[in-house]
Amino acid sequence: MISTLEFSSFPFRDHEEFCLIAGASCEQQLLLIPPLFDEMNRMRQVLVDVMRRLEKQGIGSVFPDLPGSNESVVPSDQASLSMWQEALVRCLETFDNLGYVAGVRGGCLIDAVGPDLPHWRLTPVDGQRLLRTMMRTRVASDKEAGVTMTISDLTEQAAHETLNLAGNAINPGMFAELQAATPDTLKTVRQIRLNSDPKEADDKIDGSALWLRAEPESDPALAEAISQDISEWIRS
Amino acid sequence: MSENVDLSPEAAVRSVMREILGLSEEQVNGFTAETELFGALPELDSMAVAGLLTELEDMLDIMIEDDEVDGELFETFGNLVAFAEMKVAE
Repeated sequence: MISTLEFSSFPFRDHEEFCLIAGASCEQQLLLIPPLFDEMNRMRQVLVDVMRRLEKQGIGSVFPDLPGSNESVVPSDQASLSMWQEALVRCLETFDNLGYVAGVRGGCLIDAVGPDLPHWRLTPVDGQRLLRTMMRTRVASDKEAGVTMTISDLTEQAAHETLNLAGNAINPGMFAELQAATPDTLKTVRQIRLNSDPKEADDKIDGSALWLRAEPESDPALAEAISQDISEWIRS
Repeated sequence: MSENVDLSPEAAVRSVMREILGLSEEQVNGFTAETELFGALPELDSMAVAGLLTELEDMLDIMIEDDEVDGELFETFGNLVAFAEMKVAE
C-alpha cells in the first residue's frame, strides 16, 4: 500500500493552520498531538513515520501545526497553551471523523479535547519541567556571553515581559500557563512510557527518548513500537 | 500513577546520560568514577546539560539549584554520581 501523506488545513480564528494527514479514507482516524517547543522538532520525523505505519494498519491520522509553530502565520510570541488547545478543538471540528486522541510529552498538556474520545499518552511531562530545561539553557548561554542570570531572575522577568528561552519567545501568559500545567485527568486514557523510564505506566515500549536529544534523529524501532501500541489500543 | 520505582542515583545518571547523549548501553556501562565528561564527550554541550539536570530532577525527585551547577560537576562521571547521591540524601 502506497502511503498517502498529504497537507491539509483547518480554520483557526481568521486564518488556516496546516496539518499533515495520512490515510484520509481509513475508517478509524486519530488526532496526533505533537510535543511542544524543541521536542516537537526532535520528534517530528518519528511521528510522521508513525503516521505512515498506522496507515498501513488501516488507521488514518491528522497531525496539526500548533499556532505559532512550524508553518503557522501566528507570531510565535503570541502562542499560549490555551490557544493551542483552542486550535485542537477547531481541528477536531474540521475533521469530524477523528475518534481517538494521542498526545506525546508536552502534547499531553493540551490533549483534553474531545472529552468523550479515548486518549493515548506517551511519556507525559509537566509544563514546569519544560520551562526549567528552557530556562537552564538560557542561563547557560547568558553565562557564555558573560551575563549572570539565574532561574529565579528569569521567573521574575517572565511575569511582565516576553522572554527568549532557548530560542522560544515565551510571553507572560504562556509562562504562567506552563508553570501550572499538568496533564488533565481524562475519562479514558492509556499511558505509555519507555522501558528506560522508572515511572509507572499502563505499558512500556522499547525505544530511545529522542525528545531529549540535542539533534533530531530517527528511530524506526520506536516508531514501530508506538504505531503497534496505538493500533492494538484502537482495535481493543 | 507517577510514583517513581526505586532507582539508585548512579543508575539514574547512567540512564539519563544514555538517553540525552544518545550513547550506547555498552559505552555508558563502561563509565567509571574517573571517566571524563565535559570536554571528553562532544555530545555534552550546554543544551544537553540543561536537559540532563531536569531529567535527573525528575527521575530522582530532587531540585537542583543554579549555584550548585559548576564546571566541576561535569568534570567526571564520579563527580556527577556523588552530587546525585548527595541530593538524594538531603
